[in-house]
Amino acid sequence: MGSGSGLGGGRGSVSVLYFARSAELAGLRCETLSVPREITSLQLWEEIVKVHPRLALIRDQVVFAVRQEYVLLGDQLLVLQPGDEVAIIPPISGG
Amino acid sequence: MEENEDVPKDFIKLKSEKLSVDEVSELVVSPYCGAVSLFIGTTRNNFEGKKVIHLEYEAYTSMAETEIRKICRDVRKKWPSVKHIAVHHRLGVVPITEASVIIAVSSPHRAESLEAVMYCINTLKASVPIWKKEIYEDEYSWKENKECFWANSEK
Repeated sequence: MGSGSGLGGGRGSVSVLYFARSAELAGLRCETLSVPREITSLQLWEEIVKVHPRLALIRDQVVFAVRQEYVLLGDQLLVLQPGDEVAIIPPISGG
Repeated sequence: MEENEDVPKDFIKLKSEKLSVDEVSELVVSPYCGAVSLFIGTTRNNFEGKKVIHLEYEAYTSMAETEIRKICRDVRKKWPSVKHIAVHHRLGVVPITEASVIIAVSSPHRAESLEAVMYCINTLKASVPIWKKEIYEDEYSWKENKECFWANSEK
């Protein structure tokens, strides 16, 4: 298994979940994507936008939930395990 | 008698059926408590001059339940005398004037349950992954809570 560019560690499959406006822009609610196992949250966003370019419209208004913990788009290094859940979280409006 | 001490419980439910104030209140009633405090979030029929036809809610259900459990845990740290907490949130279509969320808290005296209910709804709006879509006559809008720190409310 080759190592990914830059950070190494190879690639793995994660479950990506889309909600609210992000589900409308991506046109689906969930899918499996192959991404580098070690990746910053911003790089992960860019991988997802390659698959669904219309998501770029909401780039400034979303955060991730990785294994159900909120993560800002930025330099935070994620170490993803196969099958991990990554959710796109537009601004919330519960209650 | 140890078994009658009424162990503190959290009752968390996300459901598409109509919410019931009677049901949620009864969940938290306790013979050790002199107070049950309640918050009911209902749907308004207008926003900025537009008529709201109904609301639609969706949730990242598993994470929403986890975040509500965290809120309950924090309530018990801040107000240790709180006995039971119930948070029911509706999903799917919610008609005008019907409840989208009901929060009930019981405590021996009223100050703690009143404060805890306010903390619950304020924190829910800031941290629980649930989304509301307002349906108008000709369009719709995904709402954004001002409590949500990643919303661009000024733009």
